[in-house]
Amino acid sequence: MSDENSAELDAEPSAASGPRSMGAELVIPAGAVVFTLYYFLTIIDSPWTAQVSAVFVGAILIALVLAFMITAIRTVARGDGDWGFAALLQPLSYVKTRLYLLGLTVGYIVVINWLGFTITTFLFLFLFLAMALLGQGKRVKLSLSLAAALSISGYLLFIVAFETRFPFGPFETALEALF
Amino acid sequence: MEIGTDITWDIFTGLLLNTLSFWWMMIPAVILGLVVGAIPGFSAANTIIILLPLTFAMDVEAGLVFMVALYSASRMGAGIPAILVNIPGTAGAAATPLDGYPMARQGRGQQALAISFVASTAGGLLTTIIALLAMPWLARVSFFMHSVEMIVVMLFGISLIATIAARNTLKGLIACFFGLMIGFVGTDHVYAAPRATFGFLELYDGIPLVPALVGLFAVSEAFLVIEGESILTKRGRELMAAPSWAATFEGMQICVKRWWHVTWCSIVGLAIGVIPGAGASIAAFVAYQQSRSFSKTPELYGTGHPEGLIAPEAANNGVTSGTLVPLIILGLPGGATAAIMLVVLEFHGVNFGPSLFAERPEIGFGIFIAMFVSYVFMIFTIIPLSRYMTRVTVISTSFMAPVIISFTLVGSFVPREFAFDMGLALAFGILGYVARKTNYHVAAILIGVILGPLLEQFFLRAIRMANGDIMVLFSSRLGNALWLALAVSIALPYALDYKRRKAETSGGS
Repeated sequence: MSDENSAELDAEPSAASGPRSMGAELVIPAGAVVFTLYYFLTIIDSPWTAQVSAVFVGAILIALVLAFMITAIRTVARGDGDWGFAALLQPLSYVKTRLYLLGLTVGYIVVINWLGFTITTFLFLFLFLAMALLGQGKRVKLSLSLAAALSISGYLLFIVAFETRFPFGPFETALEALF
Repeated sequence: MEIGTDITWDIFTGLLLNTLSFWWMMIPAVILGLVVGAIPGFSAANTIIILLPLTFAMDVEAGLVFMVALYSASRMGAGIPAILVNIPGTAGAAATPLDGYPMARQGRGQQALAISFVASTAGGLLTTIIALLAMPWLARVSFFMHSVEMIVVMLFGISLIATIAARNTLKGLIACFFGLMIGFVGTDHVYAAPRATFGFLELYDGIPLVPALVGLFAVSEAFLVIEGESILTKRGRELMAAPSWAATFEGMQICVKRWWHVTWCSIVGLAIGVIPGAGASIAAFVAYQQSRSFSKTPELYGTGHPEGLIAPEAANNGVTSGTLVPLIILGLPGGATAAIMLVVLEFHGVNFGPSLFAERPEIGFGIFIAMFVSYVFMIFTIIPLSRYMTRVTVISTSFMAPVIISFTLVGSFVPREFAFDMGLALAFGILGYVARKTNYHVAAILIGVILGPLLEQFFLRAIRMANGDIMVLFSSRLGNALWLALAVSIALPYALDYKRRKAETSGGS
């Protein structure tokens, strides 16, 4: 989706078509350097067998990031890019949807430990579909029935048919006691 | 080592007819295998574990047929979501979306599925026959593959970065080396000293592969698909509006025309499969890299090129028969599923090793005959479904995104049953999202995460055995031949490109 062939998408024009957002492009290299330095900190007192591979690979990684930094500075100096983060955030009209989905996903991971797979999946699907479908002027009933159908199908396929040890909650425990 | 693996026509036909009599077992196993292969977090290995009571209760031959059919089908199933929604079912299919997903977005999903199914089947059938006939020689491959040779094989996989990040090699290298660093997380292989675990006990065993796969591909994909109404391009939507069987036949035809490509890539898979510890993901990446290196149209790879789909699919199915060779001949499983098969068959009193062919030929040969028949069943079962499976791509992203997240996140919970792994998948999802938005290839990060721990393990073993002498990396004849092949395969695309440009320049003037 996001690869370099994604220009044909219906979304708003991405930053890729304008000047390069070098600030956004530096997020991964910066994260890589921070992680590498943290890694080095954790192996300072370790035996050489724990250090050798990471030091070798980490040193190359830092050198590559430095080379990329130079490229980024030259790109901005030439006027072909800026230090902004537009590429990361565009299309801006979807920022709220993305944050909503992220919030729901974090909630899903936290709540599933207590409510189990079926109820949490139902709530997650309903809350997202309701937002998406209401935006299209469709009814809440459709969101409710879709969320219920998908979560119960998931329960039947994974927990009943495959006997997979998914997180259990009141729904799964009650049905297990009944059958 | 003398192994009595001569198979006569009478034995072959007898076993073939016997295996066919288990069709009632094979069909559900194939369907189950396709389903579990397609769902991230599930695999043939954990499904066989779940169904252990069933396989223990079965007659040994029925149990064998069931496990082999499920194993082969899961490999093929993993490619389906990789093509349709850019989510590989297993790490072995991680190279499949590189060209499969662009095809689906262009409305050629049906053709891509047909290519994948035919390449997988042809790769599986061909390598099964080769494995059956050349078992004693193939088993010896694993004797020659020591740490040094394995390091070079891993580097073949890593050199794929030059292929998939051809448009920005620096970014590709940063992504891969970042992946390698992430792959080094966990305790070290000698003294178990914890490294970069952020204090989480769950990371002491290293980064689990399924949450990394789910996060980098599935979660990040879900966050991206909500930015449009459909994953299809405009042209793709037009093509999908008028589906026909012709696309399936075209896909099959493309594969048949490239029979040599299928053969060659499946043999790469077989050769890597017989090496214990190597696996389908390495084979698929190596085959993709090799395929592009020797291609006349390398610039088309990554844009929805059929050859870029044939290579990983033929190779990862070639691995399936390869992993069973050391199991049968040496009693040494080549992968997780083969290890579980070993346990089940030993429970039934089967002793693996060279004597197996004298004592229980119906098992020794039967494994490969069962695999052969499974692939034949599979192609007839799945090809007619390709037209309907492709409809997944027309589903609105409003439905697709939450379904992808909820079902794959919980899939990352399955292998270890740690709630932590779902959080880890989300962390990888955010990393994958940022990487995709800024044109860093997630497959490059994943290659690092997969190969990092393996590379470190083989590197340390080689260095320790040589008392710290780094020149051990160039100490074996086979290793040096592989180094040379690696150098050639990296340099060749550049040389061919130079030659092509020179020809164009001289033609133009």
